[in-house]
Amino acid sequence: MKFVITLTILVLVSGVVVGQQKTPPAPGPARPLNLPKITEKKLANGLTVVLAPLPNVPKVTAVLTFRAATTASDRVAHPGIAQIVATVANEGTDTRTSKQIKEELRSIGGTLSLGSDADSTTLSSSALSEFSTRMFDLMSDVAQHPSFPDSELKLAQENTIQQIRAGRADPGFLANERFQKAVFGNHPYSFVVPDEKSINALTRADLRDFVSKFYIPNASHLIVVGDIDPDKTFAEVEKAFGSWKSGTLPPEDNPAVPKRDKRQIFFVNRPGSVQSTIYVGNASIPRKDKDYFAIRTANTIYGGSFYSRLTRNIRESKGYTYSPFSSSNTQAKTGSFQAGAFVRNEVTGPTLLEILYELDRMRVAAVTDEELNSAKEYSTGNFSVELASQNGLAGRINTIYTYELDKSFINDFRSKIEALTTADIQRVAAKYFDTYRAAIVIVGDWEKVKDQVTPFGDVTMYDAEGNVISKS
Amino acid sequence: MQRSLLVFLATLLLVLGNSSLALAKPLNVPVVYYKLPNGLKVVISEDHIAPVVTVGVYYGVGFRVEPKGRTGFAHLFEHMMFQGSANVKKFEHAKYVEANGGSLNGHTDFDYTNYFETMPSNRVELGLWLEADRMRSLDVSEDNLKNQQNVVSEEVRVNVLNQPYQFFEWIDLWQNAFTNWNNAHNGYGDLADINAATIDDVRSFFKTYYAPNNAVLTIVGDVDVNEVKKMVEKNFNSIASQPTPPKPDLSEPQQTKEKRVAQTDKLANLPAVATGYHIPAQNSPDFPAMALLVQILQGDDSSRWYQRLVKEKELTLDLSGGLNYFGNEFDYSGPMIMTTRTTYKPGHTADEVIREMDAVLAELKTKGVTDKELADAKVRYRSSFYSQLESSFGKTHLLSVLALFRDDPAQINSLLTPFENVTAEQIKAAAGKYLVAANRTVIDRVPETKTPSKPGQ
Repeated sequence: MKFVITLTILVLVSGVVVGQQKTPPAPGPARPLNLPKITEKKLANGLTVVLAPLPNVPKVTAVLTFRAATTASDRVAHPGIAQIVATVANEGTDTRTSKQIKEELRSIGGTLSLGSDADSTTLSSSALSEFSTRMFDLMSDVAQHPSFPDSELKLAQENTIQQIRAGRADPGFLANERFQKAVFGNHPYSFVVPDEKSINALTRADLRDFVSKFYIPNASHLIVVGDIDPDKTFAEVEKAFGSWKSGTLPPEDNPAVPKRDKRQIFFVNRPGSVQSTIYVGNASIPRKDKDYFAIRTANTIYGGSFYSRLTRNIRESKGYTYSPFSSSNTQAKTGSFQAGAFVRNEVTGPTLLEILYELDRMRVAAVTDEELNSAKEYSTGNFSVELASQNGLAGRINTIYTYELDKSFINDFRSKIEALTTADIQRVAAKYFDTYRAAIVIVGDWEKVKDQVTPFGDVTMYDAEGNVISKS
Repeated sequence: MQRSLLVFLATLLLVLGNSSLALAKPLNVPVVYYKLPNGLKVVISEDHIAPVVTVGVYYGVGFRVEPKGRTGFAHLFEHMMFQGSANVKKFEHAKYVEANGGSLNGHTDFDYTNYFETMPSNRVELGLWLEADRMRSLDVSEDNLKNQQNVVSEEVRVNVLNQPYQFFEWIDLWQNAFTNWNNAHNGYGDLADINAATIDDVRSFFKTYYAPNNAVLTIVGDVDVNEVKKMVEKNFNSIASQPTPPKPDLSEPQQTKEKRVAQTDKLANLPAVATGYHIPAQNSPDFPAMALLVQILQGDDSSRWYQRLVKEKELTLDLSGGLNYFGNEFDYSGPMIMTTRTTYKPGHTADEVIREMDAVLAELKTKGVTDKELADAKVRYRSSFYSQLESSFGKTHLLSVLALFRDDPAQINSLLTPFENVTAEQIKAAAGKYLVAANRTVIDRVPETKTPSKPGQ
């Protein structure tokens, strides 16, 4: 009502017809892509160095990646060792204390952190570009000479145990842990956090041995992005990392990923929950698989974007949830596809039904041309945005080297996405969105939601510590 | 433009050497700023580093203005802005942006609410058309309101009610530290208030606060200023202005006595403590020193509180917080507290944690900071400032809040100056003046004693 009055007055005053164009304006001519100029070089010790100028701000970002992963052979004797090494490596080197490292970072406007995942450990750093030499010196010191002082190791062991304890109160942590274990079984990709006993068993000698085996230049790559001059920066890198001794990477020996022959429910009981945290999914494909682009795009259409089928259904139509999602996580050996939502207790069953319904719909019928075209635009447009940030570009180049993808990945991205057909999407959905063999993980209050859950399959119940409580 | 400047500066650096702290690279973000006849503030900044543009609209309304009985309403209203307008159906805003290669979001804060889309730069006019359509003709229905009341209730459950600690370092700390309801109330909202909102509330809020004369439109990226100006005029010129919305009373009495609150937590496994100190107003001469003092105390792993609590005394696991819980020094307009949150180890008490934090403060108040510490804090400050400017969205954000709160987005190029000029003496004085017990609120939150659960099938 009020709007109409406002408009009328305006028309009278200005004497022109006021209003908005009724249809969206057409795009202007496409702008040049400005793909980054990427240079690859190698040091004599075998370290691969990749440089890409992106002078959007006077800063530099670097990522050094080691083949020190959850899958590393040391996992058998020392579960969680890659993670603990990553936690303690920047807490002291042969020539710097933990505090000296942090203070050096502060004075170059820098950050430095390590993280280990299923396929690698990354040492990431950034600084004002005027201090790039000092940043490389620090990275090199942490990579080559971490000293793992006893006091720092002991503190990290204690704090990691407490942090995991704190995490076990968080439903997202519990759902992720259960999902990884349900999907990957005995394969090391199922690893999320080590247990207390394994953490406490680690010694300084174990950590030093791990670094000498896995933090080696000939099995690592360094990506440098930012306000840099490639030649000058390469010279700085060579000076900082040139004396790093090469080594031999131990072979891996990983069991196969288990195959699920029926749908199973993994319920983590968390009394007092006012929501059910739901993950549904299964193992999928390795990063190098030819179906990477198809499954990535199927994910965009299903639940990987805001205007996705899952969001339109259980958020915008039914109001069950705030932020439903799906994701395709592809890694070196295999990957997983998962859908999920956090919903009030009363709609736990109805949500499961809709998640499965939307998965099945992707399998039995082709998506529309409009949906596919939107997903293609979404992927290619957001890819450009990603490449415009130092972290985004460094991360993208890093995956090319970590997963040994075609070096032309960035340049080919658009054409690979544009070549997809609706039949490709349906084919990968039929294969990987398998609702009959899905793992369903729910973290919630069993007493409040059990009647809604049991119709969907056999239930194995866990407590927050990961112990099996019961099995049906 | 920016690229050639950086090349020039890089050359300059080679000539001068790279160890001088004094040689901070001056910023030169191009800024075009003007107002439409209806009062809409417009900021345009060209940046051709990537074929990308961000369109942002910042409205001068946040959760501090929502009325009693309607906690969480400003945020619920933000959701309603995606429910359709005259030419864009419910949720189609998302469809248009994503189908054109972009991403989008909105955010409700203390004193502003923003909407933005980042897209390939040749789609800039689509972004303007979408924003103009909802500014002109938001179209809401009872059904859509009910739907978003459900969605927002789930948002509150996932981020607050089903989480350990339940955001106590924001929601509970603000409720206790502030006296004026406008500042103190829960901005995420009580579920009962969120679900009590009516369609008339939505319509009147829109009319009062979502007028062009209460908004900033910012466009940053690979566009031509003159072309964009024409598009802005075409899409926004005819939107009617409204009476200037009433300014909320945000005045806050001086706190004179320490406040201590004890809480139990049904879901958490470890205890945590949060503190909040009232800080000087943004236009106070003490403000830049206070901002650097926050960095020195808790800005990173080298900071004094982190080193004392986590490393030396091994009392706590982490340290988080800052000068403005949701943002930075520039994106709010009203009273503010510096917050600190730390999870402490079982077997210790909040008193021990507070005692160590106080010991660090006592040292600062008597001995001050070292020259190196201050110089480093400035370098760190500059570095994080640049990071905020890295993306088209980051620049959009800063330009928008400077236009909204200061009517002067060009300040982006000189924002660092007052912080670069802070002296060690000012830091010491700020610590003595503001970081005193009488000026703070402390909340100790400990896990409720649990009875072992015996779930049956």
